[in-house]
Amino acid sequence: MIRRRWIRVVGGVLLACATSATAQSHRPDAMLRQGFEAADAGPDTDAAAARFLGQATFGPNAEDIAHLRAVGYRAWLDEQFAQPVSTQIPYLDWVNGIPGNNVTDDTRLEAWTINALGTPDPSRGMAAPTDQLRQRMAFALSEIFVVSSKNGTLLYQPWALASWYDMLAANAFGNYRDLLEDVTLHPAMGIYLSHIQNQKADPTRNIRPDENYAREVMQLFSVGLVTLAADGTPVLVGGQPQPTYDQATVRGLAAVLTGWNWNNAGCGPGSYTCCTASTYTNCGPNNDYDRPVWRLPMQPIEAYHDTTSAKQLLVYPGVALPAGVLAPGGNAQAELGAALDNLFHHPNVGPFIARRLIQRFVTSNPTPAYVARVAAAFADNGSGVRGDLAATLRAILLDPEARYGQWFDAARFGKLREPLIRNTHLWRAMHALAPSARIVTLTPYPGIEDWYGQGPLRSPSVFNFFRPDFRAHGEVAALGLASPEFQILSDSIGVSTTNRLFSVSFCWYRTGTSYDGSCWADNFGGERTLHLEIAADATLAASDPAALLDRYNLLFLSGQMSPSMRATLLTRLEAITGTNRGRLRLQHALYLILNSPEYVVQK
Amino acid sequence: MSSRRRFLRQGLASLAGLGLTSAFGNLRVLAAAANQYVFPVGDYKALVCVFLNGGNDSFNSIVPYSSTAYADYRSSRTVLIGSGGLAFDQATLAANALTPLAASGGLPGGLPSDGASYGTHPALAELRALFNDGKAAIIANVGTLLHPTSQAAYQAGSVAVPPQLFSHSDQTTYWQTSRPDDANANGWGGRIADRLHSANSGAIPMCISLSNNNLFQRGDTVDAYGVSPGGVEKMSYLGDGPESWVLPPNAAGVAAWNALLEADTQQHVFERAYAGRMRSTVANYEIVDAALGNAPPLSTAFPDTPLGNQLRMAAQLIQVRGALGMARQVFYASVGNYDTHSYQVDDQHANLTQLSQALAAFHAATVELGIDDAVTTFTASDFGRSLAVNGDGTDHGWGGHHFVVGGAVRGRRFYGAMPSLRANANPDDTGYGQIIPTTALDQYAATLAAWLGVSASDIADIFPALSRFESPNLRFLG
Repeated sequence: MIRRRWIRVVGGVLLACATSATAQSHRPDAMLRQGFEAADAGPDTDAAAARFLGQATFGPNAEDIAHLRAVGYRAWLDEQFAQPVSTQIPYLDWVNGIPGNNVTDDTRLEAWTINALGTPDPSRGMAAPTDQLRQRMAFALSEIFVVSSKNGTLLYQPWALASWYDMLAANAFGNYRDLLEDVTLHPAMGIYLSHIQNQKADPTRNIRPDENYAREVMQLFSVGLVTLAADGTPVLVGGQPQPTYDQATVRGLAAVLTGWNWNNAGCGPGSYTCCTASTYTNCGPNNDYDRPVWRLPMQPIEAYHDTTSAKQLLVYPGVALPAGVLAPGGNAQAELGAALDNLFHHPNVGPFIARRLIQRFVTSNPTPAYVARVAAAFADNGSGVRGDLAATLRAILLDPEARYGQWFDAARFGKLREPLIRNTHLWRAMHALAPSARIVTLTPYPGIEDWYGQGPLRSPSVFNFFRPDFRAHGEVAALGLASPEFQILSDSIGVSTTNRLFSVSFCWYRTGTSYDGSCWADNFGGERTLHLEIAADATLAASDPAALLDRYNLLFLSGQMSPSMRATLLTRLEAITGTNRGRLRLQHALYLILNSPEYVVQK
Repeated sequence: MSSRRRFLRQGLASLAGLGLTSAFGNLRVLAAAANQYVFPVGDYKALVCVFLNGGNDSFNSIVPYSSTAYADYRSSRTVLIGSGGLAFDQATLAANALTPLAASGGLPGGLPSDGASYGTHPALAELRALFNDGKAAIIANVGTLLHPTSQAAYQAGSVAVPPQLFSHSDQTTYWQTSRPDDANANGWGGRIADRLHSANSGAIPMCISLSNNNLFQRGDTVDAYGVSPGGVEKMSYLGDGPESWVLPPNAAGVAAWNALLEADTQQHVFERAYAGRMRSTVANYEIVDAALGNAPPLSTAFPDTPLGNQLRMAAQLIQVRGALGMARQVFYASVGNYDTHSYQVDDQHANLTQLSQALAAFHAATVELGIDDAVTTFTASDFGRSLAVNGDGTDHGWGGHHFVVGGAVRGRRFYGAMPSLRANANPDDTGYGQIIPTTALDQYAATLAAWLGVSASDIADIFPALSRFESPNLRFLG
C-alpha cells in the first residue's frame, strides 16, 4: 500500500520536478511521522541489516549480518567507533624488511586491500582488521580531501601516501577541525597542492603567494563556492547564488599559508638539508625514498611568512574576525590557526560536508531535510561540540531517509555503487582469501584505476574521480539529478569494470585451504591472488539454485531483487548442468548480479 | 508489476511532454532542424579538441624576443631558467622563432599587433615547424567572456564576467560549454553535434572521446562514445573479451545479460541510465571494432604517449569514416599535468614535448590519409596562467594563447591581439597578473563550427553571446 501511494507521488514529482524542491524536502518527514520514527531501532530483518552494512562497510557477509541483527544499529556503531585503527605504514615497513622486496605505490594498495577486506595482516601477527566503518569513512574522506599518486612526486612516496591515509583513518571519528589542520600540514598535501615552501610576496622577483591550496581548501574541503542554507540548498538573492568568497579571500588565505616547509626532525649532516631562512627552497628530503619526514607535519620558517599584510578571510554572520580580516603581524602557526577557525565556523561547512558524506555512503540526491539533520549533528553533537565526525556519521547512517529512503523515493533514492566497492563487496561476501597473506589482486597491469576508473589515492586530479554534481546524460540530467559515480562509467571503463569483475567471479576460487583457478594467475603462481570461498554455495547451487539466489539476494541486493530479475537468473542457472554445475552456477550468479542494473544501484 | 510498468510508460511520456517546454527545451527546434544538414558523399570534416588539463602557461609557450616586449616578459619572469627561474633567455627564443606571413587577402599578417617578434618554447619544435609551414595558426589571448571586457570595466566591476574566474572546475566547464551564464549548459561540441549528427548515416555517435567522459561533447540528444586509445575491448561474458575462454559457449548467459539490461524494464532512474550506457557501449563497440578490423595499419609513427596514443586512435577512426558512415565528427582528446604551480620548468617541457610531437604525428597521419584539409585540431585549456610566479611555478590566470592545426588552417599567422607581459602597470591584466582575454571563446568556437558546416543561424543559437563581439568569424579557417 505504501509503495503504491508512493509511486503515484513520484509521478507527480516527475511532472513538477522543476519547481518542487521545497515540497520534496518535506515529503519524507510527513510520511515518517506516520510510522517510521524509530529509524535506529533495527534492524528487524536480515535484509535491513545487509542494506545497512552495504552503506557502512566494504560489503556485508553472513557473519556481519548476524552480528548486526544481534546487537542493533546503535550498539554496532558504538562497537565500530571503539575498534582500534588499522593502518598502512606498518605493512609497508614489514614488506620493506623482507630482503629483496621494494615498497611501491602498489604495496600501499596491498595494505588498503587487507584493511578494506579485513583479511589477516602479516605485519600485525596475522590479526584481522575489524574497523570496517572507520576504513570506509577513511575511503570516503580520501575522495573529498584528495591527494594522489598521479602526482609525479607522490608516485614515488608510498610511505607519504600511506601516512596520509592513516591520518584520514585516525581522524575518521574525530573532529573536523583537527582533520582540517592535519590535512593542511601534511607534506603530501603540501606537495600535491603546492603550498609547501610557499613564500610571501617578493615584488623584486614578481613572486606572489601560491593560491593553489587556499583556493581548493575553500572550494572542495570546507565551504564550497556558494552560500548555503542550513539544508545545503544555495541561498539565492535575486535568483542568483551568492559566492562564498572572492579573489581577495583567496589571496588573503594564500598569504596566511606562507612560510610552511619541511619538518626539521631528523635533518642534518648525513640526512637531508635542514630548512632555514637561507635554505628555504633548497631543503627537505627531495625525492629520497622513505624519509620519515614525509609523515611529519610541515613547520614554519617565519622569514618567509607574510607578517605585514592584512588578510581578507571569509565573511559570514557571526564571524569572529572583524569583517573577516586577519590583522597583520601574526606568526605562521597563529595565523594558520585563526584562518582554519575562520573556515571551520563558516555556516556552510556542516551542510557542505554533510552532503558530500551522504553521497559517499547513502544517496546521491539527499533531500534538503536530510542534509539539514546531518548538518545539525555536525554543528552540535548533542554536547555542544561542533565538527564531531562520529556524530555526523551516526546521523547519516541512522537517519530515517538512510534507513527507509528506498520506500519513499523508489525511483531515485540511492547511488551508483563505486566499482571498487562492488569488488570489495564480492570478496567480503564470498570470504575471499589468498594462499599468501600478501594480496596483489588490486594491483594488476595496468593499474586498477585503469580498470575501475578509480583506485585508492589515485585520482587524476584534486576534483576526485567524479564530481559531486555530475549528471549522467539523458533522463538523469533532464531530471536535474546528481549522479557522481556515473562520471567514471565511460564506455571503456564500463567494459573494463565488468571484465575485471568477470575475472574475480570466474577465475579464482577455493574450498577451505584448497585453492583452484581457471585463469592466468599473478606473478607468484596465484599465491597472492584472492580466491572466492565456494564450497557451501557450490553444494547449494548444485541441488537448489533458487536457494542460492535467495542467499545472494540477501548478501548483494539486501533482499531487493525483483521477481523478473530472479526469474532471469534462475533460468540461466538451471540451464547449467554437469559435474561442475554447482561452481559454475554460483559464478554466473555472482557475475550477473554484480553487473546488473538492480545491484549496481545501491538503494 | 503491471501498475509499475504502466507508471513507467506514463512517467516517461509525461517527461517527454514536459520536455517540450522545459527540460528538453530544444527538442522541437532540433526536430525541425533534423534534416537540414545533408552533405555530398565524400564531403567529410572533423574537429579534434585537445584539452590541456590544468591550464597551460601559454605566456611561456609563445614568448616575445624582440627587445621591448622581451623586457616586459622579463619584468614578470625575472629569473632565467639557468638560475632557477622560469624565463627563457632571448637567444633561445630567437633560435625558436615564428616567422609569420605578410598580411594578405584581409588576413592578419606580419608581426602580431604588438609589433613584437615571437619564438616558442623549445619543446614545441614540431608545432613551430607546422606554423612556419603554414599548417598552424596561433589564436591570441582567448578566454571565457560574457562581454567584451576592458581593464577599466573589469576593475570597476561594471561588466559581467564568468563566475569563479581562476577556478579549475568552473573555467574548464565554461571552456567546454561556452555558457558561463548557464551552469547546466551542454558542451558546445555536443550542441554542434545535436545539429549535425543527422548528416551521418552511421549509427555510432558523432562525438567520440579518446579520453574521459567530458562535458564538451555532451548535447541534448547526442552523447559521446568513448574509444580507448588501445582499441576496443569487448565484454568477456559476451565472448571475445579477456578470459572469455574460461567459459564454455555462453548463449544462455548472453540471453540473461540482455534480459537484465533490456530497455525500459528498470524501475530506478539510475538503473535505466546504467542499463542504457551498457547497451549502447556494446552496440557501438561492435560497429567500431568491425570497421577498425578491416583497415590497413597507418604508416605514420605516433609517439607512445597518452596524447600520442589518443590521437593515433582518432586517426584510425578517421581512416574508417566511410565504414562508420560518418560525414561530420567531433573528437576529444585530453592530457593533464598542466597545473604548474611548481616544477614548471621540467613539467612544462615534458608537457609541450608530448603535445608538439602528438599534434605533428596526427597531422602527418591526416596527410597520409589524404584528408588533412578536412581535419582541424585545436587546443583548449582551463585558463592561461598568471604572469606573477609562485617561486618555481605560476598561478591560475584567465586568457591564453591557443593553436589550430590542419590543412584548412590559414596558417603562419597570429589572430587576435598579443597582450603585454609587463609585471607592473600592465594595460592588459586584471591588476594582479592575470591577462584579460581579448578574443572570446565564443569567437574561437564559432569559427571552428562555421568551418565544420554549421549554419549562421544555428551558430547564433549555439553561441548566444557571440553577437556581443566584433567578429563572429576570426577567419583562421578557409
